[in-house]
Amino acid sequence: MSLTVALSKGKLLPGTEALFRRAGLPYPDGEGRKLVVEAGSLRFLFVKDMDVPTYVEYGVADCGVAGRDVLLETGADVLEPLDLRFGHCRLAVASPAGSGFAPDRAATTRVASKYAKVAAAHFLGRGLAVEVVRLAGSVEIAPGLGLADCVVDVVETGRTLAENGLEVVETVAESSARLIVNRASFHARREEVQHLLETLRRAAQ
Amino acid sequence: MNGTHRLAQVPPGVQCFVGEEARRRRRVEEAVVSVFEGWDYEEIIPPLFDYADVFAGEALAPRTYSFVGRDGSVLALRPDFTSLLAKIAAGRLRDRKAPLRLYYSGEVVRYEPVKAGRQSELHQMGLEHLGGEARAADAEVLAIAAECLERLSVREWVLALGHVGVFNGLVEGASLDGERLEALRERVESKDPAGARAALEGAKLPAAAAAALERLPTLAGGTSVLDDAARAFAFCPPAAQAVEELRAVAEALGTAGLADRLAVDLAEVRGLDYYTGLVFRLFARGLGFEVGGGGRYDTLLARFGRPLPAVGFMLGLDRLALLLERQGRALEAAPAPPVVVRGGTLGPALAEARAKRASGARVRFGDGGEP
Repeated sequence: MSLTVALSKGKLLPGTEALFRRAGLPYPDGEGRKLVVEAGSLRFLFVKDMDVPTYVEYGVADCGVAGRDVLLETGADVLEPLDLRFGHCRLAVASPAGSGFAPDRAATTRVASKYAKVAAAHFLGRGLAVEVVRLAGSVEIAPGLGLADCVVDVVETGRTLAENGLEVVETVAESSARLIVNRASFHARREEVQHLLETLRRAAQ
Repeated sequence: MNGTHRLAQVPPGVQCFVGEEARRRRRVEEAVVSVFEGWDYEEIIPPLFDYADVFAGEALAPRTYSFVGRDGSVLALRPDFTSLLAKIAAGRLRDRKAPLRLYYSGEVVRYEPVKAGRQSELHQMGLEHLGGEARAADAEVLAIAAECLERLSVREWVLALGHVGVFNGLVEGASLDGERLEALRERVESKDPAGARAALEGAKLPAAAAAALERLPTLAGGTSVLDDAARAFAFCPPAAQAVEELRAVAEALGTAGLADRLAVDLAEVRGLDYYTGLVFRLFARGLGFEVGGGGRYDTLLARFGRPLPAVGFMLGLDRLALLLERQGRALEAAPAPPVVVRGGTLGPALAEARAKRASGARVRFGDGGEP
């Protein structure tokens, strides 16, 4: 039986495809909207970015490609043996430009984020009380509308933030795409997993 | 809501097994217990709760259900058997000569988020080998764990051996502060060499130790990993000794016919904080998480006043049952349908049912339909 690889349908997909092709690994050709696709010796699952670690943690997929940002948020118990060196971004706190954002003066800071766990841990860890408003997207508009004092969100170029009147206050974590592996598959399917790992390692150099 | 009743709701994390599934679990338990008995281990049925201090330990404390007893003492539902067995071996059984070979099969209760094979109630089957020569005890316990899986005809399983002395040896004397040490441990557990390097950035430790710690997350695979590790850690006697201990155990198991099952995983530094030496986990194809594991804990019994080295392991009953189902392993055919006894008069019908029972038949008395 072939190894199962979970991939994100989101922003990491083009980089993942490029990497697999560069590595000479099987990759599905234009299968349209199918979410489970066999290609050569691999079976691919195309799922939401936040779900990739879940599929791998449960062992439904043996391996996957997930951003460090997503791994921090989901807290999935998976192996992360390889930094694939693409999809670079950072998770950052951003607030309305020129607002003099000062969480140490507020009894509770209200934070809008898709990364609720990361946001809460960041503020609580600094001794700041926090109320996290979990949003599924368009987080940038929350402060301007009075839903939150700031956001914790992914920043690549900073353009989306600037267009919505936000500026980065501080970086919470750096992120890039990682190869993740199920703990049991690492041993129970050692040869296949090692082969995939080494092939991707060479291609990601 | 339609068809629901407030009192029929169940709290998250609890489980209930019905009929076929309960029978399956019972068969798995019987098979495992017969292996424990076959290696001359003695059953122990410890109490369901005890003083919370017994279970004190950083790893388990936040997951323990504790409560205040009538007399004001703090009690806890057992989150783990090992601490309880250590207490009993050091207390009630203190006059028994070592080695003590004890096994248990029962439920532990933990606050756990329900995910990836974890429930709040877990049925664990395990044993503890207390006292006795360490290498022989390690090898014996691993052979028993292997036999349990063989007895259940599990296919494609792997015994992954590690040793906490490797990581501990490498960080010893490196004077890493607590936070950095935890960050490093977490990255090693994730087999993330780049992350381990980042966790060590700016730390004052010898270049050789830093290089070795960055290498550690990659030292997992077949038993040849032990050769790589011996070379990589030659500069650090405690780590090198840990590797040699593992090698001795791996060679013994190889000679005993288990060579094909062995893996080495020196990045395996997870688990309960009482482990001091060998640690191991059992994995099998078809289950995304381990079916069981264990290790050596040479300092735990001293807490209870009887310093004895010890080693033990446990298997999760739910996980084993799930694995067998996934691998399509039926333990036995379903029982034959019952003989139905029903009749006009209650007394004679009951007498007939009793006679059939005495001859060993499976009997259903009356038709039992809901009125």
